[in-house]
Amino acid sequence: MLVCRNSSKILFLALLGFAFAVCFIGQADAEPIEVTLNKPNIQKIPIAVPEFKYMSSEQTQFARDMAQTLANDLDFSGVFRPLDPKGFVEDPQTMGLNAPEIQFPNWKRIGADYLVRGSYQVQGSSVKMEGRLFDVVGQRMIKGKAYDGDIRNWRSMVHDLADEILLALTGERGVFATKIAYVQSTGNGKEIYYCDFDGSNPVQVTRDNSIALSPNWNREMTQLAYVSYKDGAPKVYSANVQTGAQTLICNYPGTNISPAWRPGRSELAVTMTKDGNPDIFLVSSSGQVLQKLVHGWSINVSPDWSPDGRKLAYVSNESGSPQVYVLDVGSGQKKRITFSGNYNTSPAWSPKGDWIAYSGVSGGNHNIFITRAEGGETKQLTSGEGNNESPTWSPDGRMIAFSSTRQGGPAIWALLVDGTGVKRLTRQGGSQELPDWSARLSR
Amino acid sequence: MRDSIGRVVGVLLIVFLIGFTGACSKKQVPSQPGMSGAPGAFGPGAGGPGGMDDAKWRELGITTEAEKREFLDRAQAFENQDIYFDYDAYTLTQPAQRVLDEKLAFLKRYPKVRVTVEGHCDERGTTEYNMALGERRANSAYQYLANAGLQGVKLTSISYGKERPIATGHDEASWAKNRRAHFAINY
Repeated sequence: MLVCRNSSKILFLALLGFAFAVCFIGQADAEPIEVTLNKPNIQKIPIAVPEFKYMSSEQTQFARDMAQTLANDLDFSGVFRPLDPKGFVEDPQTMGLNAPEIQFPNWKRIGADYLVRGSYQVQGSSVKMEGRLFDVVGQRMIKGKAYDGDIRNWRSMVHDLADEILLALTGERGVFATKIAYVQSTGNGKEIYYCDFDGSNPVQVTRDNSIALSPNWNREMTQLAYVSYKDGAPKVYSANVQTGAQTLICNYPGTNISPAWRPGRSELAVTMTKDGNPDIFLVSSSGQVLQKLVHGWSINVSPDWSPDGRKLAYVSNESGSPQVYVLDVGSGQKKRITFSGNYNTSPAWSPKGDWIAYSGVSGGNHNIFITRAEGGETKQLTSGEGNNESPTWSPDGRMIAFSSTRQGGPAIWALLVDGTGVKRLTRQGGSQELPDWSARLSR
Repeated sequence: MRDSIGRVVGVLLIVFLIGFTGACSKKQVPSQPGMSGAPGAFGPGAGGPGGMDDAKWRELGITTEAEKREFLDRAQAFENQDIYFDYDAYTLTQPAQRVLDEKLAFLKRYPKVRVTVEGHCDERGTTEYNMALGERRANSAYQYLANAGLQGVKLTSISYGKERPIATGHDEASWAKNRRAHFAINY
């Protein structure tokens, strides 16, 4: 089975470090495990990830690095509880790779429901890697996948294996191949960067030597729209993630800010003040105004599309303080959905469309909340730890990344939607803010 | 009873392309006018008073050394005096209006200067909302000056949101200094 079928996509995946060959190893079907979100204390699945087996004596350090990366991924998902390798009985370098050669009772005894057995072989600058997922109780292989590619892509191979494990056991891939765009402070300005889902591998996108803000991925992960002061006034640009080439999109008099690509279309919602008021417009990818979506005397900013592209969450202070509203683009109907507190901003629609995350001031600080997209039930996910702003959902809807000052300057953090599993993602120095989590590429 | 091991049915290998960043635009942007007045700004307004030459003095209608000194003194005072706003507000307070009246006196005396009104916010609140709020603040000051019927003065406005704080503390004293409109002369 090929990862990708057309050359432009291959090139693009290569740029993002995803390119390698894969094939599936004979597999059995697994009953997907029901994973309920938003339910605290869900039972996490105990899984054992022993060191990978090295099939040649080159680069033996990967035995541990690959297992650790995989265990970290599985832990990050919030679905698994990787077991401490100290309890493992079998020697990972002598134990077998196939079901008949594995002493399953040894793994059952330490509480593992599942076991991942990996192996690899380095040849010069390339690596062949294999991973197999075993059902410890059923003593059988559920899924196996083999990879072949440049040694520098080993981490992407492990991330893909983690995605396959999640897919096999939950019926849905993980987010281990996704990216998070953000604003990085530089000496005297701000530039757009993106990193892996876990904060590693930062890549600089803009080198404008100015203030860049509000990065927003298109669904295909080929473009990052953003705001820059590089030409004096704030204007909306888009950077091609492959080539770095920049396109000026909105160059109207006044302020041009808060771009949001419309899902499935080459259009954006943006806030512009060209008519004297911060209004939200629908524009084409070349900046042509297609429709004025939200207008009035009030401040209207921070549009975020529903996953089907039919509704728009945004911030307006028409009630006297900033609150989150939802616009039905077809009917033009507006509905306020936040009522508690007097500073609710940065709405972010969940990938399934059922929740809207936002940042609200409570207890004197900004905190992350989620509320039903139609209004109603609201949950506060952070409290008492610095300012927590700019929520953005992981594309599987399990996590929310946000910027937080809980350990000093703003950095990107993430938590599970039930409010647990808070972890820091970026440690790059300077400040990181305004995160935007990409979609998942179909592969 | 061995697990069947499939073969690699298709192989496609792409050399991972480095040099991604090399393709990025490296265009250096010159210092922006009107980014003065904040620590870490890119530099004072293009040129600054030091960049005055005879042509520019003539444009302002200033000839003698005394007039030049007077202009520079008053221009410095003009740029150093900001107006301040309440939290999440853009209405002009009484003290702000008094400062704006002083700005008007300067602009009437030197109607040929070009001025950028910058709107700024404190660090609280979100980036995008503050961008819009900063523009509202700049516009409040802009409108006050424009409504006074100035002839020939070229006014522009820009919002920097919370991106250019003048005070970097995290307390009300700093926030109050940052909720401001700043007036930059573009020499």
